[in-house]
Amino acid sequence: MNGRQRVEARSAYLMLIPSFIGVGVFLLLPVVLIVLLSFTKWNLISPPTWIGLENYRYILTWDEFGNSLWVTLVFTLLAIPTSIALGLLLAVAINRKLPGTSWLRVLYVLPWVCAPLALGVVWKWIFDPTNGALNAIIGQRVEWLTDPDLALPSVVFVQIWSSVGYISLFFLAGLQQIPTAVYEAATLDGAGVARTLRSITLPLLRPTMFFVTVTSVISSFQVFDSIYAMTRGGPGFRTDVIASRIYNEAFVSLRLGRASAMAVVLFAVLVTITLVQRWYFRSRITYDMS
Amino acid sequence: MSTQTVTEAAVGPAAPGRRDPSGRRGGAAGRGAPSWTTSRLFANILTYAFLLAGALLMLGPFVFSAMTSLKMPKQFNTTWPLTLPDPTTVENYTSLFSERYNFIVPIAVTAQVVLVLVVGQMLTSILAAYAFAQLEFPGRDALFWVYLSTLMIPAVVTIIPLYSMMTSLGLKNSFAGLVVPFMFGSPYAIFLLRENFRSTPQDVLDAAKIDGAGVLRRLWQVMVPMNKPILATLLLITVVSQWNNFMWPLIIAPAKEWNVITVATASLQTQYNGNWTLVMAATTIALAPLVILFLVFQKQITSSLGVTGVR
Repeated sequence: MNGRQRVEARSAYLMLIPSFIGVGVFLLLPVVLIVLLSFTKWNLISPPTWIGLENYRYILTWDEFGNSLWVTLVFTLLAIPTSIALGLLLAVAINRKLPGTSWLRVLYVLPWVCAPLALGVVWKWIFDPTNGALNAIIGQRVEWLTDPDLALPSVVFVQIWSSVGYISLFFLAGLQQIPTAVYEAATLDGAGVARTLRSITLPLLRPTMFFVTVTSVISSFQVFDSIYAMTRGGPGFRTDVIASRIYNEAFVSLRLGRASAMAVVLFAVLVTITLVQRWYFRSRITYDMS
Repeated sequence: MSTQTVTEAAVGPAAPGRRDPSGRRGGAAGRGAPSWTTSRLFANILTYAFLLAGALLMLGPFVFSAMTSLKMPKQFNTTWPLTLPDPTTVENYTSLFSERYNFIVPIAVTAQVVLVLVVGQMLTSILAAYAFAQLEFPGRDALFWVYLSTLMIPAVVTIIPLYSMMTSLGLKNSFAGLVVPFMFGSPYAIFLLRENFRSTPQDVLDAAKIDGAGVLRRLWQVMVPMNKPILATLLLITVVSQWNNFMWPLIIAPAKEWNVITVATASLQTQYNGNWTLVMAATTIALAPLVILFLVFQKQITSSLGVTGVR
């Protein structure tokens, strides 16, 4: 290393100090800490005491934890395929570029820039059995958020409503990258709408599909704000997603050790999902290219 | 994740502008009149119907909630929920700002939190991104890989340890507690800026280097001005995600004097359940600034990403 390089390296390290505090102290250290905390019993009042694997042993057989994993899974499986299908449909519709439709795109993205908590409160009113907008429109009293069978579909609907617009933007960007020539060639070869969609659009959108699926699944596994606003996990744990369970266990029941163990499990699940999805889509992409 | 999306949101609208002259639109026009068959007409009608129905569904909750916030509680409780406000009143808003609810406090707290976090995150991220993109130093790639891998850490995992760290420093219910863990840059911002800084034309930077400009001068006088569009986009992303933040403020600052707007709205809704005209005034206040921000900057982001997108 000559003098000039040494100066450059030194200024680089200096420039990285602030962000290193952010990444090291407030992102990496918490990951280490939560693993440690997951081996303790801690109620915020007395200091944490080491109990080894007890928290993990407990949550493995704990109905409420299993339930919250199940609820999160169902939430994800209901919300994501629907919002991806609708988002794709929306993108195709916008991409037809009919006069007067381009500004509509702004409307679809609107829910996405808004606070999920505030939107959740708005929807809680809309779903309100007596004074809510929805029952006023359908002219019937339906307990959208308090009926055990309707609560989860209702919060899933809100999730779809708020994410479909921004998902469509990814697909729109993807659609616009497909060269027009490909479609023209397909039309010349006599391919119909369905065939074009199946053989050209969908395969060429696979990278977009991958990105959207991964990010949607990851965010759906962490959904909290809108559930907090609408149901707080109720009725009877029917919408008790994993983030809401962790929050309640840590900051309502003050069992932070047990909550940490659940957070560690969630973290492991999310990392696994990311890796599996990456592997799955990579093999599919290779298949299509060959 | 929310951060990743604004960029894409901005990329979306930018693209058609670039493509239009040579793209699909020209093709459709070229096919022209003969293909205006009944099936095409039918498809167009269907598209319009779908887009319009979707738009109404999107807009409905915003309109209904704003409408409700302008109603007298008495009218709200006695008439059909979707009748227009009669008389139109701002009473809900004035009582929100009265001493009883004191909604000015959460607005002020939120504004300050957003300001500190935006300035902090922008500065630290710009510095880090520049170091990663333009400077040579031992361990650069390994360190960048570490930064990147932190993108996978979900908020709900860090929140318990951060809470224990902040409370042990005595920062529960304090301004510092709200901002300190998040003001030192974000891996996503660093990643996004690094990509842009790397593809900034090297000759301009080299020219400045030959002129004897030091690292910081090259950064502030060459790199930053040349990357204004992406920096503006990032600024907007940060404002949006911090204004909307809920879980961390809820945990670290539950005391009323440190409530941010989302926490204040949530606690108002819990406390005055059923008092929907008042609660809808609160949600309207929480939603309006970002809705306005988004509508105003929609064009600017579009064009700014049009510039970077051409690259």
